[in-house]
Amino acid sequence: MSLWVDKYRPVSLGKLDYHKEQAVQLKNLVQCGDFPHLLVYGPSGAGKKTRIMCLLKELYGAGVEKLRIEHQTIVAPSKKKIEINTIASNYHLEVNPSDAGNQDRVVIQELIKTVAQSQQIQSSTQREFKVVLLTEVDRLTKDAQHALRRTMEKYMGTCRLILCCNSTSKVIGPIRSRCLAVRVPLPSTEEVCSVLSTVCKKEGLTLPSELARQISERSGRNLRKALLMCEACRVQQYPFSADQAVPETDWEVYLRETANAIVSQQSPQRLMEVRARLYELLTHCIPAEIIMKGLVSELLSNCDGQLKTEVTHIAAYYEHRLQLGNKAIYHLEAFTAKFMAIYKKFMEDGLDGLVF
Amino acid sequence: MDEYDEMYGIEDDYDQQFADELEVLAERDIVKPTKNPPSPSEEGIENLLRDPPITPKAKRQKQEGGVVKRLFGSQLTDEVTAPMTRSDDITPPSSPEQYASTHRSTPAVLDISGFAAFSQTPQRPAPAAVSASQCVLKRPPLGGEYITVTDSSGNRVYLRQKENTGGKLADPRRILHLDGSLGLLSEPIEVLREQVAERHHQQVVEESQRLSEMLSRGVTEQFGELGGPEEEEEDNVDEEGRRSRLWVDRFSPHHYTELLSDDFTNRCLLKWLKLWDTVVFGRERKVRPPQADRHAQNQNKFKPNQAAENANFKTFKTKSQITEEILEAELDHYKRPKFKVAMLSGPPGLGKTTLAHVIAKHAGYNVVEINASDDRSAEVFQRRIDTATQMKSVLGTNQRPNCLIIDEIDGAPTAAINILLATLNRKDGHGGEEGGESTKKKKKKEGVLLRPIICICNDLYAPALRPLRQQAFLLAFPQTQPSRLTQRLAEISRVQGMKADTGTLMALCEKTDNDIRSCINTLQFLHGRGQRMVDTRTVQSVAVGQKDQSKGLFHLWQETFQLPRLKRKRVGPGFEEGPGEGGGAQRFQHILLLASSSGEYEKVSQGLYDNYLSMRVRDPHMHIVCEGLQWLSFSDQLNQVIMHGQNFSLMRYLPFLSVTFHFLFAHAHVPRLSYPHSQHEATTRLQANRNALSTMLAEIPPSVRSRISELSLTVDILTLLLDILCPKLRPVNPQLFSTREKQQMRELIDTMLAYNLSYRQDRTPEGQYTYILEPRVDEAVKFPGLPPRRQLTYQAKQTISREMEQEKMRRAEHLMMLRNPAAAPKEKVKSTSDPKSSKKNHQQRLENIVRQTTVEIRPEVDFFGRAVAPKPQRLLTSETGEKSVEQSMGTAVGNSDVWFRFNEGVSNAVRRNVYIRELL
Repeated sequence: MSLWVDKYRPVSLGKLDYHKEQAVQLKNLVQCGDFPHLLVYGPSGAGKKTRIMCLLKELYGAGVEKLRIEHQTIVAPSKKKIEINTIASNYHLEVNPSDAGNQDRVVIQELIKTVAQSQQIQSSTQREFKVVLLTEVDRLTKDAQHALRRTMEKYMGTCRLILCCNSTSKVIGPIRSRCLAVRVPLPSTEEVCSVLSTVCKKEGLTLPSELARQISERSGRNLRKALLMCEACRVQQYPFSADQAVPETDWEVYLRETANAIVSQQSPQRLMEVRARLYELLTHCIPAEIIMKGLVSELLSNCDGQLKTEVTHIAAYYEHRLQLGNKAIYHLEAFTAKFMAIYKKFMEDGLDGLVF
Repeated sequence: MDEYDEMYGIEDDYDQQFADELEVLAERDIVKPTKNPPSPSEEGIENLLRDPPITPKAKRQKQEGGVVKRLFGSQLTDEVTAPMTRSDDITPPSSPEQYASTHRSTPAVLDISGFAAFSQTPQRPAPAAVSASQCVLKRPPLGGEYITVTDSSGNRVYLRQKENTGGKLADPRRILHLDGSLGLLSEPIEVLREQVAERHHQQVVEESQRLSEMLSRGVTEQFGELGGPEEEEEDNVDEEGRRSRLWVDRFSPHHYTELLSDDFTNRCLLKWLKLWDTVVFGRERKVRPPQADRHAQNQNKFKPNQAAENANFKTFKTKSQITEEILEAELDHYKRPKFKVAMLSGPPGLGKTTLAHVIAKHAGYNVVEINASDDRSAEVFQRRIDTATQMKSVLGTNQRPNCLIIDEIDGAPTAAINILLATLNRKDGHGGEEGGESTKKKKKKEGVLLRPIICICNDLYAPALRPLRQQAFLLAFPQTQPSRLTQRLAEISRVQGMKADTGTLMALCEKTDNDIRSCINTLQFLHGRGQRMVDTRTVQSVAVGQKDQSKGLFHLWQETFQLPRLKRKRVGPGFEEGPGEGGGAQRFQHILLLASSSGEYEKVSQGLYDNYLSMRVRDPHMHIVCEGLQWLSFSDQLNQVIMHGQNFSLMRYLPFLSVTFHFLFAHAHVPRLSYPHSQHEATTRLQANRNALSTMLAEIPPSVRSRISELSLTVDILTLLLDILCPKLRPVNPQLFSTREKQQMRELIDTMLAYNLSYRQDRTPEGQYTYILEPRVDEAVKFPGLPPRRQLTYQAKQTISREMEQEKMRRAEHLMMLRNPAAAPKEKVKSTSDPKSSKKNHQQRLENIVRQTTVEIRPEVDFFGRAVAPKPQRLLTSETGEKSVEQSMGTAVGNSDVWFRFNEGVSNAVRRNVYIRELL
């Protein structure tokens, strides 16, 4: 618990640093001792999990902080054994069903049912329901999500679900309608800066506000990342200087280089090189959607205004196909090739315009 | 029937009558064949006259008839010369009808000539044969002239020609007279006349019967087929039998010279087979190869297109040279060739099996074939190989050694192949001892393989064949020359009465990829459908010649990326106009067929994807590439739907990917293709990285674990975390760290423990020691081409590693204390509080030990074992002394925490309870 991210994580709703009105709302929500199913969504590093844990603590007290990891084995109907790790306290159970890959439906059906079917004995001293926290719901297969629908209604008496995901677009409508959706937006740059300076103060360090701002911009307002960056800066050099180089994650650097390679030359040979780089990114467990997003934003920064709409359009088109397909590399490469074609045509037209 | 009886009777009579004369004749022939009296006596002439009719008597009667006729025809003057000069005419009538007629006619003739009895000889040959055998010789006589007579069954006999040809010179009158005087008419002329009349009558009766039969048959045919169908059926069966024989079999080559396959291959295989001669037939080796060469040269002479062949030779000269070298290589010490197995490989229908059979026969072997239709499980295979290679048929005429041909070996199970290999290598067991005298002891060593084995396969690179490939003499079968194939097809169609011009047959060859079997089968099919005229159009429209065979993936990729050459021009001029024309449609169909027959769409599309960018396509605007990728992503989408929804009916759209790629990227050049590894490599590496991450995640304590996932780890945390883990540390002993540095170190170790990271000492191949991060998540976030991250020094890592170990122990102890809080704190309290309240465990034990050793009184013995009487005064002093020692020891033990006792030979003499926390 020595990373700043872990050390200075707020543990109660009252101590949250930003989105305070939301914190108040959440507090009010659980004040009566009960709450509906929740669907907490928002970008990575906005503090979804922190809020959920704070909520649980509000509900159950400090008992939820006594966590243990359980290895569960579930036998699928096809006699295949699925191993899955759950994090549980006495009051809640946290599962990431997408760990089971294609078999996530079985996890949903078996695991949640067993939890939900057991009743609390002493309902007078405790809540009469347990909480099941499902993470990365947007990576669940459609089958699993459909399996969830009925479970949510049927075991309402003994179990509350908190679903946690990045985007609701991949969560099917029936589930969205059964939940109270709570959006946790990213903190603003100022909020990130203030958090950083508070943490540094607690550490006994002085953080120049320029550096704080730079870090918060570099991190894309992802607070987790910002804190890690800040700590990395601290390791790199202390006392801080205002124009200190902020360390970045490797894959982002690599992706930027890839985008530059695409812009600098458009030919099948270059496409071949880009393919190798895309493979490299994919093999480092970077999800294809994130690669696509990063690529588009890097490419857009190199584009002329009128080209931007077109590039965004094809990006959306190929991103959709990426979701439908299985082999990410085809779609990423297709996008790259299409961009090359458009960009090349644009550049040649521009040259022609210059000549005449 | 009485006629015959009569005849028998006559014959008997004859025998009786002429027995003496016959005997004499025989005697004369045998006893004095050369010493015939030069001056013919009356007797001699008599014999002479009788002789010619007797000689053919041993033969068929029909011949005799001929002879007799001739005799009369030539006015009886040249009775002897007639059979001599006109022996050709004696050839028997070929049809039974004629036979019968002569049969019937003879008596009439003989009647006149008085030789009646002879006509019956074939029916009762026994008595005549006795005499005949003596004058009819099986081999040419030693001296004197002779004539040869050959009968219908091919037996040749030799008739001695009498020196005395006086008969010729004798005037006919005299002979006639002689005839009469001899009384050759043993039967009265009336009897003979009667016989003739009888015969005539019989003929008439037979004729009338035949006519009536014909009439009645006509009636039955009209009124319904009662007896007819059977006959017809018989006919059909016969016809069917003739038809059902495939032309392929009927026209298959039976001799080396008839082979259609490539000469070089033929010769190589023959040479290889001849290498076995030394061991199989015991012949010297050097004699044989020239003969094989001569054969091939002859073959070359026959060839119409020698020039083309020669050109072909040059193109694969290097390969052929290698093969020649193999063939020239030394025999091993069993006089066997180096490669014990020849492996023929090539696409179906080129005549591999035929070649093997023909050549094995040509080289004097008896062919034993094992093919896919046989059971090829391991045991059966073993048995059959042993049977074929170690035994020899004893019964029957087939005394030749066996040559084992294993056909379709690429379908055999791996176990069977292994058995074959074991058979090949079996020699090694006895090899050393036997040495040079192997040929002599051949019989004894059952195990050694001494017969050639020829394997035939379509796919040389079948996984099961891998081990065999290294030990086999590999012969790749090239395509048959279309010209030669066409020639053969033309021959066949001529024989079968079909009309086909060369162009048509060429088209057929092209369509079937020069597959001989397929060509001939197609011809037969067309013939069977009643087409006697075959033209190009029919050939093109017929779908039979095409094989639904899957060629390798590489072939498919190559076809996809390469434009077909040259032959387009013949097919149609529309090709130049654009791919949408006739040529395009054909290419479309061709690629579609290939792709759908391959079936491995996943692999196919992967190969296309990996290779399409290296194709030489003019595509300045990248439109073609975009189009291709559009199709790739479409097929990926399809695949996903198929797999996810089990909707396999969509699978039919998958082969179109190859077609599109063909039209987009095909080029006239031969494409350089590589096997698609990229996807597999990517998956492997992804899996490795995943594993590292999950190992890391598995041991992270739950409080941290609940906040991170694999995704956030890779995207956000890991790189920065690794940065954080590399603080600047002073390269000094950690004892000398300032408090701030100590604090930093503690935090570092805390973090590493929290994220389940540690350093492990490892040895590089160069022999240097390094500390590597465990689990290897640094690999998972490292990208090539980026500046390397800052690394800690070896010393720093060592320090961290040691500190971490200590921290881990500390924590473990802490955890233990937490787990049983009763034991640990109590002890602590005790050790600090007064020791007198209760004696410590070890003190109690110690006092006992002291007491035991000191208080125990042993009887003293002197050197010889006798008891020594103790002296009273000394005993006193010792008693007091002992007491004081005991007491002082006891108190000393009680007072101090440290105690020791000397144990001989044991090193843990000093004992003390030490806690980790006191040391760290």
